[in-house]
Amino acid sequence: MDWTNYRSPAFDELIGADGGPRPAAGHLIAYLSKLSDRDVAARQVAASAIARVSGITFTVYSDGRNVDRPLPFDLIPRVLARSEWERTEAGLKQRIRALNLFISDVYGEQRIFKDKVVPAELLANSVNFRRECIGVKPPLGIWAHVCGSDLVRDADGKLYALEDNLRIPSGVSYMLENRIVAKRVFPELFETCTILPVDEYPMQLYETLAALSPRPGEQPVIVLLTPGVFNSAYFEHTYLAQAMGIELVEGSDLFVGEDDCTYMRTVYGPQRVDVIYRRVDDLFLDPEVFKPDSVLGVRGLMRSWRAGKVALANAPGAGVADDKVVFAYVPKMIEYYLGEDALLPNVPSFLCTDEGERRYVLDHLGELVVKPANESGGYGMLIGPRSTKKQRDKFRKLVVADPRNYIAQPTLSLSTVPIVTPRGPSPRHVDLRPFILSSSNIYVTTGGLTRVAMKRGSLVVNSSQGGGAKDTWVVDLEDAS
Amino acid sequence: MLSRVAENLYWFARYVRRAENLARLVGVGSQLQLDLPRSVKFMWQPMIDTVGGAALFKTRYPDAGSAPADVDVMRFLLLDEGNPSSLRRSIDTAREVMRSIRDTLPPQIWEVVTDLHMFLEGDAERLVTRRHRVDLISRIVDGCLKISGLVTATVSRDIGFQFMQFGTAIEQADMTTRIIDAGASGLVAPRKEEDRETFRNLQWMAVLSSLAADQTYRRYVRRRVTGEHALQFLLQSDTFPRSVYFCLTRMQRMLGAMPPRPDVKTKLDSLVDSIRSADPGALVVKNPASFMDEIQLELRELHDAVAGGYFNVAAA
Repeated sequence: MDWTNYRSPAFDELIGADGGPRPAAGHLIAYLSKLSDRDVAARQVAASAIARVSGITFTVYSDGRNVDRPLPFDLIPRVLARSEWERTEAGLKQRIRALNLFISDVYGEQRIFKDKVVPAELLANSVNFRRECIGVKPPLGIWAHVCGSDLVRDADGKLYALEDNLRIPSGVSYMLENRIVAKRVFPELFETCTILPVDEYPMQLYETLAALSPRPGEQPVIVLLTPGVFNSAYFEHTYLAQAMGIELVEGSDLFVGEDDCTYMRTVYGPQRVDVIYRRVDDLFLDPEVFKPDSVLGVRGLMRSWRAGKVALANAPGAGVADDKVVFAYVPKMIEYYLGEDALLPNVPSFLCTDEGERRYVLDHLGELVVKPANESGGYGMLIGPRSTKKQRDKFRKLVVADPRNYIAQPTLSLSTVPIVTPRGPSPRHVDLRPFILSSSNIYVTTGGLTRVAMKRGSLVVNSSQGGGAKDTWVVDLEDAS
Repeated sequence: MLSRVAENLYWFARYVRRAENLARLVGVGSQLQLDLPRSVKFMWQPMIDTVGGAALFKTRYPDAGSAPADVDVMRFLLLDEGNPSSLRRSIDTAREVMRSIRDTLPPQIWEVVTDLHMFLEGDAERLVTRRHRVDLISRIVDGCLKISGLVTATVSRDIGFQFMQFGTAIEQADMTTRIIDAGASGLVAPRKEEDRETFRNLQWMAVLSSLAADQTYRRYVRRRVTGEHALQFLLQSDTFPRSVYFCLTRMQRMLGAMPPRPDVKTKLDSLVDSIRSADPGALVVKNPASFMDEIQLELRELHDAVAGGYFNVAAA
């Protein structure tokens, strides 16, 4: 593989500005350089074949039917140095501690609003604030047990937090599967470099969930609640349930008894359930409280949860902090609740609710990225430098009409990692989604899921919009042999 | 084991076994038809009745009259999406049922079911003609047997496996009574009186072979095929795996590995008694149809007891 003509338009994760490999990627680049084009192509084919056989898919609805599509996998891993990762990990732990304290506060005393650190109007207009959760004290005071935070690296080489997914973040199964594929394709490298393992995640998740059981001391009954086979993340639901050895249940498999306990219907009769890792949205969880026509949830589940008879992860209402406007206040939350400075910087955000900032946003639409507060999947965004005048006019109207629903951020250049193309290595933009587990301890995945925009120049990494994935290596340089 | 998963495993096994029996039955009918002299007519109607589709067949093929064309019957029994008892619907239902429990079964099983589904959706129509019919039937039977083989060779022997085996056994018992029914109601209609005896035995031979029992019958019974002996073999053999008695006693043994449900045991024991005390000689003289109907009804009640005991777990 020839790197002489490799040039990135941004900060590249593997190759430095001088054209040589970054220290953590040294082994990898030396190894890849020795492979012929045919070797590389053969390994890419092998990697895609392994990925396909293991069933790494996401479901998309197209042409009136559901199709399981393989997630494009690129051979070349993204590499991070252990020292940098440890700093990032500390920053992520700090963030999630503050976010959990914030959610507890929102549904408790609301001190942060009374102290005017965060404006109270934020709640009034939040689509993910759940009145039904006020006064509830979930086990260990934790609401967001599983968090997927998206990190991006800008031209200055620093990692920034872009958003925190606190509702039902997905993608961790791809991280685990990508590693299995990489080990099969590059066994030699796993021998010579110290690449830290990622495969303890399912066990860590199991322990995170087990710690929430309302019947401590007994072997907890833990289940994963899925919306069913037609959900885009169904592959991940079965994957995690199998990896943890727990039942994969649908709403109709559960019921809430007169004793407010939650049970599942088994061939042995009703069996009490202690912890539910739910992958169903808040509003579909319980037709008694939320959407009355939901068939995905369980009637009475909120009653059972409020009575402390069953634990839900993530807790209903945790999404109140998963809002791009709330995001802008995370550094202030860290200061307010923990008395610390944020270790991991936020991508700077302009709040359209603030008159001065809104005017700036409207005057600079051509340079900024404008995002709706509560969309996910990369939908409904304006990428200023690539927009047409018509699109900018449309967003101008949207922002003026509903300033609470929009934030703007400078257009980051997003770092790149090379992918394999028929014409040699070529840079593509990436982000990084580590997963953070919180209960009695906080655990952060080693690295995370690297999502890559497979189209040249594209900044959109979402799988629903043509994104792919790479394995992510955290490499210990001190331990290199 | 979740009730939903157990129920889906049970139905998956039932639909696969149903499809296999249906394919065999149609296959034998179409072979038999070739053996008959012009003076003897092959009757498709009993086959349509076997799956309970008489009324529906009339509405789907209003011009068929009393002696429907074999291509129409073939299409109706095998490929018709509008016929809930067609082979195609059995395979499609098996596939739909498996979709939500895919992770509990080896992936190869899904591949075989999907392959059958695609085959019936695509190529099958072309193969309905007499010339290719054998290929069509054997392709389907092979697919179903491959699934059964994968189940016994690769599925772990947990409680879910018991429900699959139970589903297979109850479906086979039911299909065996239905196929006996079809045979007894006269698959052939000789025009000459002196042919009657010859062809009656020929049709019992067809019944045996549609249950893959012809060779085993010869080895164990060692007599020329008569209605009485065929009936005795298919109802009461304790070694032939598709006999009603065998299927029922197999279920009795499985109950030991399943959570106890008195209703299921009572129902099953009474079914075994009915079969054991049946008199094949007398049945064959007076027409076994009503006895078979009784057994089918009892099997239905057995299913209801299973569903009530294991699948429909209500709030206590």
